[in-house]
Amino acid sequence: MTAKASAIKNILQKHFTDAVRGEQETRDGIPTFWVEPGRVKEVLRYLKWDENLQYRMLYDLTAIDERTRKHKPELSTGGFTVVYHLLSFERNEDIRIKTALEETNPSLPSITDLWINANWYEREVWDMFGITFDNHPHLERILMPRTWQGRPLRKDYPARGTEIGPFELSAEKQEREQEALQFNPEEWGMARQSEDSEFMFLNLGPQHPGTHGILRIMIQLEGEEIIDAIPEIGFHHRGAEKMGERQTWHSYIPYTDRVDYLGGVMNNFPYVMAVEQLAGIEIPDRVKVIRIMMSELFRIASHLVWYGTFAQDIGQLSPVFYMFSDRERIFNIVEAVCGARMHPNWFRIGGIAQDLPKGWDQLIREFITMFPTKLDEYDKLVMQNTIFQQRTKGIGAYDTEEAIEWGVTGPGLRATGFEWDFRKKRPYSGFEQFEFDVPIAHEGDCYARAEVRIEEMRQSLRIIEQCLNHMPAGPYKSDHPLTTPPLKNHTMKDIETLINHFVHVSWGPVIPEGEGFVGIEATKGNNGYYLISDGGAQSYRTRIRAPSFAHIQMVPDISRGHMISDLLAILGSVDFVLADVDR
Amino acid sequence: MRWWFSKPSDVHPNETSFTVGTNGDGSFQETVGKSLILARLQDLIAWGRKNSMWPFHFGLSCCFVEMATSFTSKYDISRFGAEVVRGTPREADVMIIAGTVFIKMAPVIRRLHDQMLEPRWVISMGSCANSGGMYDIYSVVQGVDKFLPVDLYVPGCPPRPDAFMQGLTLLRESVGKERRPLCWWAGPQGVIKGEKPSQRDLHREERIKTTLLRTPDQV
Amino acid sequence: MEQSNIEWSFVVYGAAVTGLVSAIMLLSYLLGESRQSAEKHEPYESGVETTGMARMRFSSQFYLIAILFVIFDLEAVFLFSWSVAVREAGWTGFAVAGVFILILTAALMYEWGSGALHIFNQRKGRTKQFLAKQRTSQKE
Repeated sequence: MTAKASAIKNILQKHFTDAVRGEQETRDGIPTFWVEPGRVKEVLRYLKWDENLQYRMLYDLTAIDERTRKHKPELSTGGFTVVYHLLSFERNEDIRIKTALEETNPSLPSITDLWINANWYEREVWDMFGITFDNHPHLERILMPRTWQGRPLRKDYPARGTEIGPFELSAEKQEREQEALQFNPEEWGMARQSEDSEFMFLNLGPQHPGTHGILRIMIQLEGEEIIDAIPEIGFHHRGAEKMGERQTWHSYIPYTDRVDYLGGVMNNFPYVMAVEQLAGIEIPDRVKVIRIMMSELFRIASHLVWYGTFAQDIGQLSPVFYMFSDRERIFNIVEAVCGARMHPNWFRIGGIAQDLPKGWDQLIREFITMFPTKLDEYDKLVMQNTIFQQRTKGIGAYDTEEAIEWGVTGPGLRATGFEWDFRKKRPYSGFEQFEFDVPIAHEGDCYARAEVRIEEMRQSLRIIEQCLNHMPAGPYKSDHPLTTPPLKNHTMKDIETLINHFVHVSWGPVIPEGEGFVGIEATKGNNGYYLISDGGAQSYRTRIRAPSFAHIQMVPDISRGHMISDLLAILGSVDFVLADVDR
Repeated sequence: MRWWFSKPSDVHPNETSFTVGTNGDGSFQETVGKSLILARLQDLIAWGRKNSMWPFHFGLSCCFVEMATSFTSKYDISRFGAEVVRGTPREADVMIIAGTVFIKMAPVIRRLHDQMLEPRWVISMGSCANSGGMYDIYSVVQGVDKFLPVDLYVPGCPPRPDAFMQGLTLLRESVGKERRPLCWWAGPQGVIKGEKPSQRDLHREERIKTTLLRTPDQV
Repeated sequence: MEQSNIEWSFVVYGAAVTGLVSAIMLLSYLLGESRQSAEKHEPYESGVETTGMARMRFSSQFYLIAILFVIFDLEAVFLFSWSVAVREAGWTGFAVAGVFILILTAALMYEWGSGALHIFNQRKGRTKQFLAKQRTSQKE
């Protein structure tokens, strides 16, 4: 037990004598406490508001189905566990509170009156596990369709689409589904009219050029002004978390790529780091620097897509062509190094897939000499355009306190003036040795978020230049036995290495039992993977904490009172990716 | 895993346009070919259709980003007359299912497809739309052809913009060979589609000449 | 004689327009395929069904803006008729028109100042209230 964990445990036991049942060791060093289900809300309230503790952000709320776990934690009942992950910015610390629930009719009091962003997280747990939250304002399915039967993340639910049977869409089923999709304002507590006018209910539906993906927002309008908005997600739910339980640790890497599909290898990063944490693998310096370089390239690529499409939403139709041409230059580099354009799945457990090709430095050098002038050009083209400024300044503004309450991380948080970057505050993979600034802005509106992202692109260029100039030599994989696939230089010469290699690529590496979490500063915000290993070749539970899930939940609150056109500017400035939201 | 087979006619009960034959099929060719002028007129109209296929702004997933990349300047789909992306299905000709088809989204896709006006075509882009791809999971339909009639499949995960454009050019060729009725009150009402030559046979000679593949350790 | 020439050219023009439009509409009705399906008659709303009607009662704020438009539109009509006869009206006419415009400009300034054209509202976010409520309940 670390010093700070025991200090917190003492504080908790002093105030809640019989509520805290014990502590659990996890590989990531985050203090993890088990609390009685009836008292968990009091404990969380204390953790949030006590002046010394100040765990102000509800970072994640999820559940685990412990029923088929071989190495159950001692304090679990063998049924379900609900996990609350809190983050304190003041002290730069995390805490995890777990409660054990029984198998039959699991339920907990809802914490939506404690944290405003707990709403969607609880709905997701209800949808995926069937755990009821009492006094939740609107406990309904969020990721699966309303007519769905069953709780997908439970262990007795089939994973494969082919196990469920052939998909048919008869006319009668089509009608039923469309009826279920129809928006009913009374269910959400919305009035149909005010004293002097009727409200119009508009579907900014699943298919819309402005939503950047299949997101549905049901807007209550008075004239053109938004009175309320309800986003509906789940149209992009690919079951990435269930897939983790079916795939081996190694063959899950391509699925991580597709969670934030603009992020490429940035998505592999937290996952392989979490597996390496569980396995105890130390990676060589060269790997760290290469990983940082490729991730920062993808950060620039993702921000370029955001930049072009944001300008397009505001009405400028040309910048997107320029940005995408630059993105093509980045993809030339990525294709030369990783072999594929958008989804390279290039990081491996213990290293990267293969070493950098000869001539990579020439490609990178060309890019970093060419790109800054382009950014200046785009600045004149987009950011200094008066129409762009008028459409984005003062729109969708929020301050740091609201951002933390909603769970916003990444550029959305930095645009409120709060200088928090996980690369600086919790350096990973060697980031402490890099020199770069953290851009911030102060107004917290759409324009501020745009400024932050553009400056981030410049800082990423600085990081890439440092990687280029100081690339350490060395192996591109660790020589730890759990590296997958292992270094091949001895494979052809001795039988143990060959067996190791064979088993790893066919059966998969067997990662020792334990739990671990790694969160990084991804392109959209903080992306974290919470992995639970049961000592098998597959993950027992893969929880993906995606930044865009929290960001979209915030959109109705920041767009009330604005016009529809402002809503589209807000959606563009929040920069979410639907695969990140629904996983 | 359980596998099953299905015939296109079983899964598309709402499909209203129907193929009555292919070019080269004797009986219909005779009926239509009787009037040379009408056949030439149909070819002219098919040529017009093929050179202005307007895609529907419909993207589901990662493949949509590659499709959007093909609209931009490096790949430039407007060379094929297809840069007019329409937001409403009534003005669009071709619906490109770019990305994974989710069960929650299936009724929406079906409705949008039904709201498109004939002549309309469907391109299934990417592995997820072709067959469910790597997502054999409870929330994904294993292929969009389970409930929509597909004219062209573009494989890839995601397909490169060049691959997508190759698919679009193949569809254009096939559209150029189609003969559709000129008016609804006279003449045969079915659509006569052109022959689809095997791409493997067409490209075999050129592909078989490749003997040396570039090693990945050099740029 | 001049009068009847003008009438004839209008008649020919009207006939040509009617003929052309009818021909286009007739051809578009007759040519092409026709396939019916139930979904085609539904309104398009991003692939899902609509909620509520499009014909509804709007706030009277919009009516106010429409009335203001009508007033200024009529002003424009008067100015058009003055502009046709501007030479005949001379400087006196110019002065009268000037006074007319000045009065209406004063009216516009008044409306602008009093906020009749302003239909935006304050943002009503709820997060601040939520946090304030918690803080007060914490102190208790």
